[in-house]
Amino acid sequence: MKPPVMKGKGLVKGSANGVALISMKAFTFAHGVEPSTGVVTDVRSDVNGMNLRGRILFYPFGKGSTTASSWFLETVRLGNNPAAIVTEAVDLAAVIGSVMAKIVYGKEIPIVSEVPRAIYARLKSGDRVFLDAMTGVVRAEE
Amino acid sequence: MHLDSAQEKMLRGELGEAKQFAMEIVSKVGDAVGADELVPIRSAHVLAHYSSLHDAGVEVLERFADSGGRFAVPTSVDPASIDLQNWKSFGVPEDYARQQFRLCDAYAKMGGMRCWTCVQYQVCNFPREGDVVAWAESSAVVFANSVLGSRTNKITAGMDIACAILGLTPRFGMLLDENRRARVAFKLSLKGLTDLDYRSIGFFIGRNAGARVPALVGLPSSVTSDQIKHIGAAAAAAGPVTMIHFPGITPGSKTTAEASDGERNEEIEITRSSLSEIESDLNQFSEFPDLAAFGVPHLSINELGELAKLLEGRKLKKGVEMYLYTSSQAYDMAERTGISATVETTGARISHSTDAEISPLKALGFETVLTNSAKLAEIVSSEGEVKVGYASQKEIIERVTS
Repeated sequence: MKPPVMKGKGLVKGSANGVALISMKAFTFAHGVEPSTGVVTDVRSDVNGMNLRGRILFYPFGKGSTTASSWFLETVRLGNNPAAIVTEAVDLAAVIGSVMAKIVYGKEIPIVSEVPRAIYARLKSGDRVFLDAMTGVVRAEE
Repeated sequence: MHLDSAQEKMLRGELGEAKQFAMEIVSKVGDAVGADELVPIRSAHVLAHYSSLHDAGVEVLERFADSGGRFAVPTSVDPASIDLQNWKSFGVPEDYARQQFRLCDAYAKMGGMRCWTCVQYQVCNFPREGDVVAWAESSAVVFANSVLGSRTNKITAGMDIACAILGLTPRFGMLLDENRRARVAFKLSLKGLTDLDYRSIGFFIGRNAGARVPALVGLPSSVTSDQIKHIGAAAAAAGPVTMIHFPGITPGSKTTAEASDGERNEEIEITRSSLSEIESDLNQFSEFPDLAAFGVPHLSINELGELAKLLEGRKLKKGVEMYLYTSSQAYDMAERTGISATVETTGARISHSTDAEISPLKALGFETVLTNSAKLAEIVSSEGEVKVGYASQKEIIERVTS
């Protein structure tokens, strides 16, 4: 099957090229990601035990604590943040975390939203993905 | 997003560094989410616990406080990671307390209402129907939108302080009518609901609503605002829920049809087996716990009174602690009304200005915690350091007291 080209809406600008980490479940950095490693600790996550550092992280929507953006920012401070995030519905915590990552630490973590689970489900964790938040294009690389 | 000339000035730094930092955050977030403009807020609520803000959060908060940031609107403050009055007797390490006090000092400087509670709507922050607010604390966001009829997005760490300093928030999401309509209906016909059921109902909704705004029909007319508080807290812990329509309770939603603006939604029945499924997911162990914890989110004075009644004449068994978490205000009231004395006679303790999910449980020596809070159970199991049991308050009291 030809790798899918997905078109979403770029929320936080930037581009990234990296390996996908795909979750189909509600996701949170708050209490669910260990900032000192980037490992997902949330036992209810389908990517539990995986490391999101440098990955293009896909999940449908957020959940849980409003501290999520500071957990996110702590992964940035420690250099363990994802390279980019793709969601189905806007996850405000990720948007705020990414905006602050740029302002406070000068790091760009683009975010693309409005990419439905049913579409990105054709990718699997480990696939190489290119993402451009300017155009909203998320593309699997051969 | 459109900025007026005064807001442009802030962004250029003409009104000081703190306002510039705040405007930079708020305008960029507004642009990202497609907000059209900034609107005034009537109150804010900000996060204050070191365990979740981490060093990055301390850096951000101190940058605001040290560059002259002052809150422009009444701003209540969430709990701390330690009992701010009795932390030594709870065994909190000194250096941990010091980090927390840095956060507290910054909030004192900025003019925060230091209520140290996640139930500010039961203590000191009372917006009315239709008021736009910028609140952090996922459980309080649900309460504001669903019960008070105020309007807030789920404002997360960093942005919370920025909105409070500006007295402004971007208009998008839950501030707009079209995003507040119910898009899925949960139906309940179970009777005789326990304290645990209310939490499990919320968790089930959070897990199954997805990004849709849910409605819940079939609650008994006797439902209390405390029970609704726990439904909302559990829903927000399990999913992206920021509002639940409770027809007959939620302002503007007298009926299910009004909640959905006439649209027919998918209906999901909440059965006894739905709740059992949540219970067995959240309950990781059935052995004797190190800690029995009540009050995530904080117990109201009524709930403290109810627990005191259940505890009266009982004694805590050896090898277990029992903490009841509440706001500083309800703590004072419990002292004055004899509730504290009753609780303490059993060997349990009331802790204020903090709660279990934001405490360093492991560092305090707890390997296992038993609770009736779905939110606490979700968070503790996610962090994976401490094991959690999930049971009703009656069962917990029977297991750990005699």
